[in-house]
Amino acid sequence: MTTLTFPLSRIEGHAQVVIEVEDGDVKSAHFKAMELRGFAHFLKDQPADQMPVIVTRICGVCSTAHHVASVKALEDAYGVEPPPLAKKIRELMMLGQMLQNQATSLFIFTMPDRLGLSIIFQEEVSQEVAKEKQGIAGRALKVRKAGTDLITLAGGQFIHPVKAVVGGVTSGIPKDDAAAMKKQLEDALPMARELFDFYWKSSETLHDRIGTWGDDRPACYIAATGKTKPDYYGDRMRLLIPDNENIIDFQSRDFRKHLDFEETDYSYSAMTTYKGNALRANSLARINIADSMGTPLADEYLSIFREIHGNPANGILLFDIARGIELVYSIERSIELLGEDLENGEPAVPHTETDGEGFGLVEAPRGPLVHRYKIKDGLIEDIEFIIPTVHNVHSIELALMTAAKRYISKEKVDMELERAVGRVVRAFDPCIACATH
Amino acid sequence: MEKFAVLQLSGCAGCEVSLLNADAWVDKYQLVYMPLVISASGVPEVDILLVSGGVRTDEDLHNLKRSVKKANKVVAVGTCAISGGVTNLGNREEVRNFFMNQSEQRDLPRLLADCRPIADFVKVERYLPGCPPTPELFMAVLFDPPDFKAGNSVCVECNRKKDKTMKPKRLSGHLHGNVQPGICLINQGFLCIGTSTRGGCGALCTNPGQPCVGCRGPSNAFIEKESDAWFASIKKVFSKMTEIPEPEIDSALRSAQMAMFLYQFIDYAGDNPNVPSKKEIL
Repeated sequence: MTTLTFPLSRIEGHAQVVIEVEDGDVKSAHFKAMELRGFAHFLKDQPADQMPVIVTRICGVCSTAHHVASVKALEDAYGVEPPPLAKKIRELMMLGQMLQNQATSLFIFTMPDRLGLSIIFQEEVSQEVAKEKQGIAGRALKVRKAGTDLITLAGGQFIHPVKAVVGGVTSGIPKDDAAAMKKQLEDALPMARELFDFYWKSSETLHDRIGTWGDDRPACYIAATGKTKPDYYGDRMRLLIPDNENIIDFQSRDFRKHLDFEETDYSYSAMTTYKGNALRANSLARINIADSMGTPLADEYLSIFREIHGNPANGILLFDIARGIELVYSIERSIELLGEDLENGEPAVPHTETDGEGFGLVEAPRGPLVHRYKIKDGLIEDIEFIIPTVHNVHSIELALMTAAKRYISKEKVDMELERAVGRVVRAFDPCIACATH
Repeated sequence: MEKFAVLQLSGCAGCEVSLLNADAWVDKYQLVYMPLVISASGVPEVDILLVSGGVRTDEDLHNLKRSVKKANKVVAVGTCAISGGVTNLGNREEVRNFFMNQSEQRDLPRLLADCRPIADFVKVERYLPGCPPTPELFMAVLFDPPDFKAGNSVCVECNRKKDKTMKPKRLSGHLHGNVQPGICLINQGFLCIGTSTRGGCGALCTNPGQPCVGCRGPSNAFIEKESDAWFASIKKVFSKMTEIPEPEIDSALRSAQMAMFLYQFIDYAGDNPNVPSKKEIL
């Protein structure tokens, strides 16, 4: 038995891929999460109302999603409904996060795979690539920065947001600030489109070279986004099953009726299945589940995408392209929202803290995120984080298996395997800090 | 061009994401190692090594020890690398037992009993606290500009004004809505410790209405003292500005959300404490 170990980079956190081979036969492909901090354990017996500040520290990449999910879980437990203004501002936070994340995944994590580089900044490159690469890093940082600035405006702090509170948000957004942000996003939109167009073209070139979009078996897709168009604020979980036109939807509090969780001895992350089937979450799940994007430019991209790849689309590398469509959507939708009145109206409603159980659901960049808090005497009696990356672990391993079989034979291990492993994992954009928490 | 590397131990990558919001380094420094954005195996020789996250596993420890040998200067970046941050809430028997069990069941990096600050294991030249430090603070630690000066405290940098006529009788809890704009959060009954937290963040939480939980750690007035000196001082602040009963304040000051602040004190830092001096901290 030969064991091939691949350390991973350009993803969040510490993980590696281990593939076992016997006589050219691929025996297993494991995705190993290598870290564990234990939030679900050390938060027991701590004051429930402090969770929105503490749980953001689970992840500096997905912080906004944890912040909003946490507040929603407490509101569910206390029986509070935030006012419309607060919901709009929370949606803006989620959009800022989506914009920042998709720009990072596309242009910093996976663009180097399209250009044969190890980093998007500063590297010595051939003249040919240098010409193409011109300005990518600078523009990518600008687009990303627009997302960060939107998180800061709507969420207060730029990495670990603070403005969502039980009952609403601490304040609205003054008209002038909203207008300035709108202008910044309007300037970022053409830049984001140029970068995405180039990215899509480079992905086609990559496809022509390697001859595949990766594992394209029909799969179960899961998301908490809207049915008709995206909604990252999250209302219900939705499942798209192959050979079934219907989408199953259910409340986050019923997740255990539909999803099974399994621990392994080779990873600090669990994995989710649906009736024994692997699940796929993240961009492609949302694109496959929603009827449309609901904004003009993103809908144009979506119709081109569906014309080429169908609906549902299944190739692994299509997750990356779907991310680009969401990047455009996030900017367009934010521009729409920032044109509305975000200054007047009640930012929050009063509430009384009670004991009980609460579920908070949002659609994070990596998929549906649920926080479940059980509260007794104001303290956390039991706490659970249902993490999007965990839904993808099984599918990541299946896709790695597909790649391994493609590049491993009795005679040799093709050099392309290492690159393929990186591409497969990055297509799912896993977050290990979240997955293990 | 000078070279720098970023080593991420067990943490949340928030420090790295913050650094990505800055671009002033691009002309002066070459980034040669930072797994979040670059494929490279191991830290090469560098001028500056930034270390984020705490030492949670034996692999963290191995990577840390191996990497500092390659660096001229080591900077502990962020609350986790400096004190272990919020994971200190797990320094309890039942949580430790859970960790040990997890390790034993798996063929993975072994978990240590607690998440430790990096200075417990290696020599640290500079400390950059914050959860996370702002991009401006990152640039200050890389460029060391002689004119850089952070505010004494978050309170000094906050735009909110004190209102002597407002003397709340109870704590408002940490996360109740309806924060009044422009008025000091203590005057509104919030547990804000911005008066004693190191400045430099631009008061980015308190201005939009979130009380300061002290992620930048104690200001220079307290950094070289034990926590008792601070407890006494902050309680004085509250007794002067509010009518909230002292036991209520005292218990809130020791609650979970204060972990990022409290564990930066020497008497909270374990058996062999290594905490920064005024000169080493930015």
